[in-house]
Amino acid sequence: MHMGASGAAFAFLLAVLGLVVPLLLLAGRRTATQRLALVLLLAAVSAGCAAGAAGFFGETTPALDFSRATPFRFLLAVDRLSAFFLLLICAVAIPVTLFAVSYFERHQAEPRRRWTWVFFSWFLLSMIVVVTAATGFAFLIGWELMTLVSAGLILIEGDAEERRHNVFIYLLMMHAGAAAVLAAFLLFLPVSHTLDLDAMRAAGMALPAGVRAAIFLTAFAGFGTKAGLIPLHLWLPRAHPIAPSPVSALMSGIMLKTAVYGFVRFAFDLLGGGPWWGGYAVLAVAAVTGVLGILYALAEDDLKRLLAYSSVENIGIIFLGLGAALVFAAHHAATAAALALAAALFHAWNHGFFKSLLFLGAGAIADGAHSVNLNELGGLGRRMPWTAAAMLAGSCAIAGLPLTNGFVSEWLMFRSFLAGSALYATKAQVILPLLVGILGFMGGLAAACFVKAHGTAFLGRPRSAGAEHAEEAPLVMRAGLWLLAAGCLLFGIFPGLVLRPLVALAGALLPGAGVPEETVSIAHILPWVGAAVAAISLAALLLKRRTRPARTWACGLPALSSRMQYTSTVFSKPIRFVFARVYRPDRKVERLPVDTPYFPISILYRSVRTTSFEKSLYRPFVDGVVWMARGLRRMQTGNIQVYLLYIFLALVSLLALLRFQQ
Amino acid sequence: MGLVGIAGGKVLSSFSVFLFLTILLLAVARRISTSVLLFSLQSAVITAEVLATAIQEKLAEAWVVGLLVLVIKVVAIPRAFFVLARRLKTVRDVKASTTPTQSVFIAALMIYLSYAAVHSYGQAMHVPDDALAAAVALILTGAFLMVSRTKAIMQMLGLLVLENGIFLAALITTFGMPLVIEIGIFFDILMGLLLMGIFTFRISDTFDHLDAAKLRRLRG
Amino acid sequence: MSLGTAIAQALLLVLGAPLVRGTIALLKARLQRRRGASIWRPYADLFKLFRKEELVPPTSSFIFRAAPAVLFAATVCAAAFIPVLRPSALLAARGDFFLLIYLLALARFFLSLGALDGGSAFGGMGASREALVSSLAEAPLLLGLAAVAILARRADLAGMVAWTLGQNVFDISAVHILAFTALAMVTLAETGRMPVDNPTTHLELTMIHEGMVLEYSGPSLALVEWAAAVKLHLMLALLIALFCPWGMAVGNAGWGIAPAALLYILKLGILMGVVSVIESAVAKLRMYLVPDFLGVASAVSALAVIFTVLVKR
Repeated sequence: MHMGASGAAFAFLLAVLGLVVPLLLLAGRRTATQRLALVLLLAAVSAGCAAGAAGFFGETTPALDFSRATPFRFLLAVDRLSAFFLLLICAVAIPVTLFAVSYFERHQAEPRRRWTWVFFSWFLLSMIVVVTAATGFAFLIGWELMTLVSAGLILIEGDAEERRHNVFIYLLMMHAGAAAVLAAFLLFLPVSHTLDLDAMRAAGMALPAGVRAAIFLTAFAGFGTKAGLIPLHLWLPRAHPIAPSPVSALMSGIMLKTAVYGFVRFAFDLLGGGPWWGGYAVLAVAAVTGVLGILYALAEDDLKRLLAYSSVENIGIIFLGLGAALVFAAHHAATAAALALAAALFHAWNHGFFKSLLFLGAGAIADGAHSVNLNELGGLGRRMPWTAAAMLAGSCAIAGLPLTNGFVSEWLMFRSFLAGSALYATKAQVILPLLVGILGFMGGLAAACFVKAHGTAFLGRPRSAGAEHAEEAPLVMRAGLWLLAAGCLLFGIFPGLVLRPLVALAGALLPGAGVPEETVSIAHILPWVGAAVAAISLAALLLKRRTRPARTWACGLPALSSRMQYTSTVFSKPIRFVFARVYRPDRKVERLPVDTPYFPISILYRSVRTTSFEKSLYRPFVDGVVWMARGLRRMQTGNIQVYLLYIFLALVSLLALLRFQQ
Repeated sequence: MGLVGIAGGKVLSSFSVFLFLTILLLAVARRISTSVLLFSLQSAVITAEVLATAIQEKLAEAWVVGLLVLVIKVVAIPRAFFVLARRLKTVRDVKASTTPTQSVFIAALMIYLSYAAVHSYGQAMHVPDDALAAAVALILTGAFLMVSRTKAIMQMLGLLVLENGIFLAALITTFGMPLVIEIGIFFDILMGLLLMGIFTFRISDTFDHLDAAKLRRLRG
Repeated sequence: MSLGTAIAQALLLVLGAPLVRGTIALLKARLQRRRGASIWRPYADLFKLFRKEELVPPTSSFIFRAAPAVLFAATVCAAAFIPVLRPSALLAARGDFFLLIYLLALARFFLSLGALDGGSAFGGMGASREALVSSLAEAPLLLGLAAVAILARRADLAGMVAWTLGQNVFDISAVHILAFTALAMVTLAETGRMPVDNPTTHLELTMIHEGMVLEYSGPSLALVEWAAAVKLHLMLALLIALFCPWGMAVGNAGWGIAPAALLYILKLGILMGVVSVIESAVAKLRMYLVPDFLGVASAVSALAVIFTVLVKR
């Protein structure tokens, strides 16, 4: 057990999150105890930040061994990769916790709130266990705990019939994914004999090619389910919108990244690169995920579902980077692989920041305007200016605009795709540069999507009474929002802060890699560009001018009503029309019957959009499973003669087998 | 070799790009008149390639062939098409069964396939890759036009584009076909066009339209 | 290269932009047998607008005022990337074409937000159509530039231009022709020219860019119009720099600048003539035919990238 300052901080983090906070919350009745618990939570998470930073920027690797208390080996170690994710979890958890303090106080009554905080700290604990686990047992415990605790958090908020249905689908798919991950772990056993990560790493080199391919595929399937790759993404838009906003922020911002961590750990660390076709498979799935994810996001009017689908798209982007890194590694271009891997990990970092910011902002909107339906919002920029400004930073970041962190990771990914043209394999030389076009397409659609989201929510005129009387979020919530927004801007203008250690981390995972010079050049030019844009904008804004308030011209009508603006549904109509093959809505128009058909009293228009995956992939699969189950049920006739017949047939076939073996 | 010689040597390679552009534009063309103009441009490019071969290989025959191509394919046949279109009073839309975006991606795929197909061939025969790939791509485009355009006139045009491709392939691999074979092929094409023209007239007269899709209703 | 020349190049692009717009308008007028306004008219318009009073809708937020400023700043910064007279520019050595394109995307993002803030239906319509056109135009724009970058083995604009300068002018490469076709089509789409958008229309239902700026007035409108002109100028300058840069002043000699400037004006004049002819000869595409137009550009640019592999063989 290596201790030291960072080890002590890590132990403090685990102890507080796992035991102290829940005990204080459940046992203590007075509000002072509650406040102490929350302060301790924040302190623990800050300590976690310190431990993660020490591991990420420096060389310390604290490890904690709990094996004496558990039936299997339970070892937690913070090596460089784990430290990066630990830092991400804790860094995002601080603003989210701040926000949640105020949010849960306003939204939940006393007994529920205590349990929510208990589950909240256990949720953080489970994610930390996953990324720092050094044995399979620890990893899987954390993995399952993540699912169960988050399901609990969703159900505490409310357990109406539809919510329970969505949670059921969530649990189902997460367990299927966990089964695949378990299979991936177990496939190591014949050679490694234990599930310690060190033993698995050593065994990874000695495995036969077929087993390595099987491990890669099962790990990809299992972690892909958790990450939300298409077609295994179905749970994401069902689970993320119904969770309370701080929990959605954690789920989208951090929980998806644990799947990224798992895949990186398996593919790069344990398997040392995977089979030669692995990268291409990942690229294909990631490209489809990204494009379809953002197309579905564009069609949504519920802000939280839009953000959930946008998370699917960003996971696609991250896996595009990982796939490119795998392709480069298979062709022994280590420096280019390091660039792609650094790009993917940096995008995971950035997504943690801006997606949490956006979900928290959605929570602030829900709090202030009592709705997250974009068609009922509008004009919130005047009523909630601080929230609007923070959300603007988040929207710019997720659209990948310069001076925000989203741009830097996408830029790095573009440059890594371009580097693919320097390889000596024709397939890679053609496919990788074409991905520039696909990523650009996704970026353009993402910008359009967030113009829609930010524009219809915050700009223009309010479209409902709730939006008209919206209140600004309380100070603590705003503080959480602004911490994340500051992070987005900071890492957008000074990306070198995280990039330099990230490149070192990528170099550790990919032996033989140098420092890609793109990571250095971007850090040099961005501050200049930022300064130039800021300076010229300020100069233009400070121009002496006379302004007069005057109502927007309404074509001669007395005034414009808020219904004359574009709504969110209409904004995305051109794109939905052009990509109609992707959306395939079921449309029904009913006219109330009257005497003449030319002047109907009312027309009912219903348009239902289920993603084509539910219709063409899941429904047949579920129907097939049910059909098989029914078929198997026929074997249970209840007739005792038939059961005796089964025994007789088994005896006969055993004898025949014995005969033919000789 | 002089500027003309250098230009002649490079013409075969660089003009194939213009052929690729006409292929892509034919895939998206919406009007019959545009398609015919593009065919005329294509034939002009091929004429240039014939003349370049004539200059480089110093063949007198090639000059005659080039003149023939110019007169027949660049001037006469397109004019005949315009006259036919006007006489038939046909609607000017091309009636494609694929959308422009799909067509252009199919055309791009065909170009890539033709490159992949001629790669080893071209090395063996010491001919420029680009020109041979352009010829194969023209053949594929002609076939694609015949399949995806349902107007009878467009199917004639598809056949002509296909013939352009075959002609170009023969030109490249033999560095100038003998004149006799050239004239024979031209007569074949002329007869074929005359027959198709007559049939188109009859179809249009009897059924009042030229839509090959609707002709399916004739089966028993 | 000296800082003075670099700044002079950027200023040339920014200050010369209204002149480009005025010249295209005059050429169009003459082609349509009208007298047309003077080529200095856009300067007069800008001067007038800067002195006018600005009308601000009372329901708008700070974005309405901030959008033109950010839009102008981002476009001017993008102009500092393009080599005009020498094969390098203020930011061309460190900045690459991805940063250039995304600075223009930043400008467009804020323009769309400003349009939505006006609170009228026209802004929303312009923004929604712009969302469609720009998202479809990103891929061919990036792929076309990537094709040239792959050939040059450099992604920064100075390196790409220097590589092209080193090539033989008669060595027409298939990649260049295809990339130029795709980029030309995207330039028409991105700068709001025919056949994608009509820059002189007064019918709101046919507007894309004009619809987004409908609610602006006074200095904000001047900034927006100027930024649009700068965008047109810098896209044309980009096409010239990447595909026909011969004549740029190479080396440290100062006297090479004058012939370089004259050659640049000549090339720009040819491009402006082509744009005017296209604008006068072609009708505006129906809204839902624009994806087909951009789909062709995408296929051509993808083919250009594929050809980079075939050319190197």
